[in-house]
Amino acid sequence: MAQIIFLMQEPLSVLSEEYQTGSPILLEKIQVLSESYAAIRRTRGDGNCFFRSFMFSYLEHILESQDKAEVDRITANIEQCKKTLQSLGYADFTFEDFFALFLEQLENVLQGNESSISHEDLVQRSRDQSVSDYVVMFFRFVTSGEIRRRSEFFEPFILGLSNTTVEQFCKTSVEPMGEESDHVHIIALSDALGVPIRVMYLDRSSCDAEGVSVNHHDFIPTVGDVQNTTSKGVSDSVKPFITLLYRPSHYDILYPKN
Amino acid sequence: MQASRARLFKEYKEVQREKVADPDIQLVCDDTNIFKWTALIKGPSETPYEGGVFQLAFAVPEQYPLQPPQVRFLTKIFHPNVHFKTGEICLDILKTAWSPAWTLQSVCRAIIALMAHPEADSPLNCDSGNLLRSGDLRGYQSMARMYTKLAAMPKKG
Repeated sequence: MAQIIFLMQEPLSVLSEEYQTGSPILLEKIQVLSESYAAIRRTRGDGNCFFRSFMFSYLEHILESQDKAEVDRITANIEQCKKTLQSLGYADFTFEDFFALFLEQLENVLQGNESSISHEDLVQRSRDQSVSDYVVMFFRFVTSGEIRRRSEFFEPFILGLSNTTVEQFCKTSVEPMGEESDHVHIIALSDALGVPIRVMYLDRSSCDAEGVSVNHHDFIPTVGDVQNTTSKGVSDSVKPFITLLYRPSHYDILYPKN
Repeated sequence: MQASRARLFKEYKEVQREKVADPDIQLVCDDTNIFKWTALIKGPSETPYEGGVFQLAFAVPEQYPLQPPQVRFLTKIFHPNVHFKTGEICLDILKTAWSPAWTLQSVCRAIIALMAHPEADSPLNCDSGNLLRSGDLRGYQSMARMYTKLAAMPKKG
């Protein structure tokens, strides 16, 4: 049976259950995580989990916040992404259906229209393979366009990852479905859409003497053509509303405590 | 299904527009079934396929463009990455490296590029691959040219 794309939102304790017989370091880290995070929504491990988690988390945020200003802002960014692809020589018909489907979801999570959807509808829709895959593809186009538009910035990262050209990397590791996301993808998507993303790392990396802590990285887009700054930068004022949990080669969604 | 049909229809219109721009490719949709296409491609110059016209058959899946079209040579061709009997093509973009950024037209261009740059290390046609791998470029070229003459050129007389 094909595994479901998104599970229910579950208490963080399901994580400790997963690692009951595993590394004590991980269990301690989960304990630390549970001080700030209440719940997790696990996603299917099919190479698209970062994009699917981002999609759901973003749309859920808009559904709950009804932040129209944010919708206007991202819509303008999406228009810019479209122009980027056009200027890179992509034919409109290759990407427009994917763009249209995401914009439709965005419109639907805003309430007060005939086409508005509930949280339950959003869950159902995100589990629909065709809707979910189309949105993943939208993100893949956006990510690829951003990497190619700023190829000089991304080139050293890409050389470090795969020893290929930027164009080759986009063709083989960004655009095809099922290709896993790395830092490069996250930076590019976060920058292109202007959406900050926090990633919590649940791995066995060692901890400092004071005790166990969970590493995290904030991907903070900056306005204009400036590169993505990091949590070490000055952008403390921007707080990501999307938090993902990373375990080696997999992403899930985390829900903070209120 | 609906999405793939709509996309194919856009490609159909694009193909009509590009006909002049890309004279090496003639892509035709089946009269009654938009999921079936054939293409005539010209063998690239300075290769043993030069002067030949090769027919390709496309079977487009309902999940297109999330999934790649199935493409095979209908015209017999001697090439390391084309199965000699079935015409099946070994090309990454038709398998794992597929993305909706490709189109039927650009797939044809990729196949023409593959004809000019055979990958002898992943052969579907071992005889052809072995000739290239053992450095017998002349042997490979003469076999490939012979089949181009036999199968891909109009009969004389």
